[in-house]
Amino acid sequence: MLERQSSRRIPLVVILIIIVGALTVGPVLMLVIGSFSEGIGAIGTFTTDKYVAAYTDPALPKTLLNTVVFTLGTACFSTILGGLLAYLSVRTDIPFKGLFRILPIVPMMIPHVLFAAAWIALLNPTNGMLNLFLRNLFGLSSGPFNIYSLGGMIFLEGMLDLPVTYLVISPAMYSFDTTLEEASRVSGASNLYTLRRVTLPILKPAFLATFTLAIIRSLAAFAVPSMVGMPGRIHVLTTHIYRIISIGWSPDYGRAAAIGLIVLAASIILVYLYRHLISESSQYVTVTGKGYRPTVVELGRARRPLFILCIVLFCFLVVIPMVTLVYMSFLPYSMVPSARAFSMMNLRNWRTVLANSVITRALKNSAFLAVIGATLGILLSVFVAYVIVKVKSRGSALLESLSFLSFSFPGMIIGVGFMWFLVKTPLYATIWGLLVAYVGTYLPYGVRPLRSAFMQIDEELEESARVFGASFLRALKDIIVPLLAPGVVSAWILMACMFIRELSVSVVLSRPGTEVLTVEIMKLANDGLWGQVAALGIIMIGLSTVLVIVASLMRVPLSQTEQ
Amino acid sequence: MQGMVSVRNLVKTFVSKEETVTALNNVTLSTPPNRILTLLGPSGCGKTTLLRCIAGLESPDSGEISIGDEVVWSKAQGISLPPERRGIGMVFQSYAIWPHMTVFGNVAYPLEIRGIPKSEIEERVKNILELVQLSGFENRLATKLSGGQQQRVALARALVAEPKVILFDEPLSNLDAKLRESTRQELRDFLTELAISAIYVTHDQVEALTISDDIAIMRGGVIVERGTPQDIYLRSNNPFVVDFIGRANFLEATIKGYKDENHAIVSCALGDVVCNAPCDLGIGTKVTIYTRPESFEVVAPSSPPVENEFEGTVTSLLFAGEAHEAEISVGGARVLAKLKFHIPLKKGDKVRLHIDREWCRALDPAEEA
Repeated sequence: MLERQSSRRIPLVVILIIIVGALTVGPVLMLVIGSFSEGIGAIGTFTTDKYVAAYTDPALPKTLLNTVVFTLGTACFSTILGGLLAYLSVRTDIPFKGLFRILPIVPMMIPHVLFAAAWIALLNPTNGMLNLFLRNLFGLSSGPFNIYSLGGMIFLEGMLDLPVTYLVISPAMYSFDTTLEEASRVSGASNLYTLRRVTLPILKPAFLATFTLAIIRSLAAFAVPSMVGMPGRIHVLTTHIYRIISIGWSPDYGRAAAIGLIVLAASIILVYLYRHLISESSQYVTVTGKGYRPTVVELGRARRPLFILCIVLFCFLVVIPMVTLVYMSFLPYSMVPSARAFSMMNLRNWRTVLANSVITRALKNSAFLAVIGATLGILLSVFVAYVIVKVKSRGSALLESLSFLSFSFPGMIIGVGFMWFLVKTPLYATIWGLLVAYVGTYLPYGVRPLRSAFMQIDEELEESARVFGASFLRALKDIIVPLLAPGVVSAWILMACMFIRELSVSVVLSRPGTEVLTVEIMKLANDGLWGQVAALGIIMIGLSTVLVIVASLMRVPLSQTEQ
Repeated sequence: MQGMVSVRNLVKTFVSKEETVTALNNVTLSTPPNRILTLLGPSGCGKTTLLRCIAGLESPDSGEISIGDEVVWSKAQGISLPPERRGIGMVFQSYAIWPHMTVFGNVAYPLEIRGIPKSEIEERVKNILELVQLSGFENRLATKLSGGQQQRVALARALVAEPKVILFDEPLSNLDAKLRESTRQELRDFLTELAISAIYVTHDQVEALTISDDIAIMRGGVIVERGTPQDIYLRSNNPFVVDFIGRANFLEATIKGYKDENHAIVSCALGDVVCNAPCDLGIGTKVTIYTRPESFEVVAPSSPPVENEFEGTVTSLLFAGEAHEAEISVGGARVLAKLKFHIPLKKGDKVRLHIDREWCRALDPAEEA
């Protein structure tokens, strides 16, 4: 009986391996082939010209240097702040801890393009509102801030990675056994000595893991480097690749692939390192489930300034960008808030945006990709997760590694891979092509929460239903589906939100006719049409906010955010 | 007498949004030097809070704590020494072994802080590890050791700097039952040999009885009884203590008269029984008397009757290896008796039992159960 069941499952595993393999290994393979090909129309004609061209590019050394500074700077900034926030919220008596619970869902609401756009509107050197304000205030000849700089890029990307670093460090803080510190105190060590010799060394793997993750993310980042870096002529690897495929009379996907492969390799190595560090960190977890309440560190006099710091960070992350967007969406051009500015407010930006046929098409496309893409993506994830958890075979282990492969793929690079992958298929330059690329790139974000949802459904729950007389399908309907439903809904919403704000894959694959919201917002921002950016951005935030609210009304957990 | 650790009028409350819990309610306690005092009580009784206040890991609301001759915490004098300046050692329930250090690193830590020269540190760590039988484990990562070994690392670390007093917070509760028993014995021998002052927190009564010189029973933030293990187990008059420690048969009784100033004749389900009772209870007073199951003896049917004998019927019988646990029905009551395993017994047998007047005691009616 068992024998027959498992033999019937084999085709499912094989089919899934083929689909998932095509979606994850396929584009990488095509990226390699493409890098040795003469061009997008001549796949397979072997040449090493693209490598020679890519790696002798005089602009490359400077780009690499920028990339190193940008990623390390971002990682330092976001790890230190994320660590501080995690410490304050987990271990201390800082007030309004509820505020910290909003932090992880912030990136679901405010896409990177809009965050960058809002800050550019505030801090660009020519007409940034904050710069204008300070210029008037102090009678300066130019604005004091220039967002189009490495510093500006690090600030923005660091803020954007903050929720993620916070999410990765927090569990390590939670599981930190405070008696380890107490043991040090009673051994005769002061607070500071304890921090240096016990607390920080034990948290070190968690911090290093977070730091590595921030590097991986900023290496793959595109919104900030393209919107902030490119106007300042500060190019990093992603924007370097973007320039190769978008600027000039002939996009060179071969050269892009040749560069992309080292980024991909770096990213894969870093993800490997990250996993290693995370497992090392969990080895230091020594909490024994003892009933004693962990000691809360009293901040004393530092409580107020630290709380103000948190509020400031929160304003930087959410309030200022949101307020700026709303304000700008009603203004004809950038103006410091004043009576005149308020008197000039109107709905023209909103009308212009909604009358623009390209933009309405982008809206439709993004909505289509979010709804249909997430549905198909989750459907695939359910099957994959089921096989991974319930079928223990070599095939399911292979499927598991395949489905988590794209965690380490930078979107931009995999976008180029999909370009090569799709070019000979009828999906090329269609919305379905984008959909395939989305699902392939974001599959781990569907599989992971569903895998844990399946793991929580104990085998015996299903078995006991069978023992009490339910058929297999009846057990599925009465036991498995109800238990799985919240996990499926939450994974769907997470994926739909990710598809709405997807930029780095889209920017490679989007074509006239298959425009998506984020890419159009980026183009509007590049043209300096801040009012329209803001109006369209608010519509976009509205879409994802509706999804998040639906999720919270259904009480599904959204903690499985992107890590 | 000034004790090794003295606690006077200590009060500690935990305030949260939902409730205010008085963990310590005016506790006064002092421990003689070189003895092992155990704080015993059910969870939530305040024993761990008291220990942590002594360690300096928790701040009391009022009162005073001194260790040796030094006041380490005093509301009135405004003294509050941090834990590192109290000269104590402590073994935690989780052992709190630092996972990023070796066994040597863990044990050497208190000495390094005290700025002791390297060669001396090596010598002292070597000696203490020998003492706890962990020689040769110096360079192991401490977390790779077994539970029992980790426990000994924690002990070595607590002892190495020769603290004035060593505090134990349920140190054996993470060991499995067999290991716990042998470790209990080892620890007791070890501490008595070194003549160290120790305060030991546990909720396990057997552990408390075997390991301590002195036991303080706590309940609801108050010390309800203090005494040697024998006093606590055999001679308590406190209904809570009697019920909490071991098993007991409680019987309603009425005082009929007095044999001498400590012994009353009471009438109860067992008939008229001579028991230990304070003489200030008047004739006719209703009291509860208790007996421990193991204090009953079977008397041969032919032997002449003496004081405190009664006959009952075995209503249920459990063979528990070392003894029979027999439920005996007598005069409408049921008493549990642990009877020697070699006496042949079966359900329904009539059995004649005797109990010594010292092991039959009246509870203090002023105390609540």
